[in-house]
Amino acid sequence: MTTAKKARKGPLPALKRFIHSKHMVTLVWILGIVVIWEIFACIVAATKRTPVNVLPHLYEIIGSFFSDKKVTGKMTMIELIGTACGETLSRAGIGFLTGIVLGYILALLMNLSRVVEKIAFPYLMIIQMIPILGMAPIILSITGDINSARVVIAAILTFYPVSTNVLAGFRSVEREKHELMYSYAANKFQLYTKTLIPACIPYFFTGLKISAPMAITASILVDTLQGGNGLGCMLSQSLKGGMTRLVFWDIVLISAIIGILSFVLMGLIERILCPYKRNKTSD
Amino acid sequence: MKTKKWLGILSSVGLPLLFGVVIFVLWQTQVLHSWLGTDTITLPLPTRISEIISQNKDSIGSQVKMTLIVALGGLAAGSVMGYLIAVVASIFRKWGAGGLTIVSAFNAIPIVALAPVINNWTRDVSNDVSVRSTLAKIIVVTISCTAAMSVNAFRGLTELKPFSEDLMTSYAAPKIVVFTKLRLPNSLPYVFTALRVSVPASVIGALVTEYFAEDTVGVGRQIRENIVKGQYPTAWAYIATACAIGIGMYIILMLVERMVLKRRRA
Repeated sequence: MTTAKKARKGPLPALKRFIHSKHMVTLVWILGIVVIWEIFACIVAATKRTPVNVLPHLYEIIGSFFSDKKVTGKMTMIELIGTACGETLSRAGIGFLTGIVLGYILALLMNLSRVVEKIAFPYLMIIQMIPILGMAPIILSITGDINSARVVIAAILTFYPVSTNVLAGFRSVEREKHELMYSYAANKFQLYTKTLIPACIPYFFTGLKISAPMAITASILVDTLQGGNGLGCMLSQSLKGGMTRLVFWDIVLISAIIGILSFVLMGLIERILCPYKRNKTSD
Repeated sequence: MKTKKWLGILSSVGLPLLFGVVIFVLWQTQVLHSWLGTDTITLPLPTRISEIISQNKDSIGSQVKMTLIVALGGLAAGSVMGYLIAVVASIFRKWGAGGLTIVSAFNAIPIVALAPVINNWTRDVSNDVSVRSTLAKIIVVTISCTAAMSVNAFRGLTELKPFSEDLMTSYAAPKIVVFTKLRLPNSLPYVFTALRVSVPASVIGALVTEYFAEDTVGVGRQIRENIVKGQYPTAWAYIATACAIGIGMYIILMLVERMVLKRRRA
């Protein structure tokens, strides 16, 4: 590249590239939403008697999050929400992992045996149509313990997207690849470890991206059904007036962020584990 | 050859059915209860549940109506809104694609967090509790159905067959004709892909928002209320109803899909 061409590009090519990139578009959208939120917050603040209940300013919410005023007896907001987050997320995480393992094993079994597939596949379809979250209260009363209820529901919700997607991944392998492995005299174990399992990784992550936010939703929902220290418990306590309303807004914001982050995190792990896929998506 | 095909059909219907029967028997004979470590009060026998359903047909029916209004209203509003967003995004391609990322991010927001917020917003709409609470519930379901539709419809409107767009340009077709003759029909299968996600989501959304609604109606709320009151058999009757709603709506969707797409192919 000639120096003249470089100079024409301007002093900050990195900045320019950023302005024209996809991230910029997303950033502008986020800013747009913030602006709209603030406009409505101003209107609400001017017209309503209790604006905190309807739509507080974003800076109020964020400010309350970092303030060192004690919300409950001895905890500041950040400590309170931190512990609640930890409680909720750890349960959601355990359920999520259990669901992944079970879902993967079922997909493997279904691919290995026609009988298992024929038995399990219709039920996998039906379980998608059943509102599991609606059954949260009864699962809570069967397990009797809020922590295990969270784990169980998160596991069920993770289990079927993983299972159906992994199975679709196994099925996506072309006949030629099977024939190639056959010509190498590969045994079943090699067939799975060398072709089928690598081939299903993108599908596996599609399943994870669906189920990660669902596992978190489930965990928060179960929290609201009973006392304890999860995010959902704080949410319902604050709605009932046990704490300031800003706790409620903090939790809404935090749970939205956690939900989105869980989705982004799965995409990130996918990109680290299989970087070769990046070339495919970029074109 | 023919007998082999029949055997295949028989095994793919018979095996799952057999599994279902085994579960039913285990449940009815209370083996399932000892496995789960529970009793017949928390997990009533299937016969008892069906008895309750037939006894309370009328009251269950009226709750189902309330839930269906919310689920279908939200589904319709969310799908229309999602499709419109997709159309706008396909016109302004660069900014639209970024906007869709934001819309799908909204999808990751837990309904649990959304429901109480919307409840607060609709407080001034009407003095009638049932009107404003129904509206709040419909809005929540709308939001949870929008993302799937907009993302899928956007793909349907933009991922066209190779050269079909060039062909339209060679006909000197105006943009509106390209839209009605090419993009719209092309997006139909994608619309159904989206509905397969959002139909179950609408039922779940309706049930969960009912937990937080002011008005204590709907199948989801009844599940919770009855458990709080300790009336587990009634709660189970409503759970069975909720499952029936979910499965029923999905089956209707499949039938409609088959009908519409078949006519399109012919």
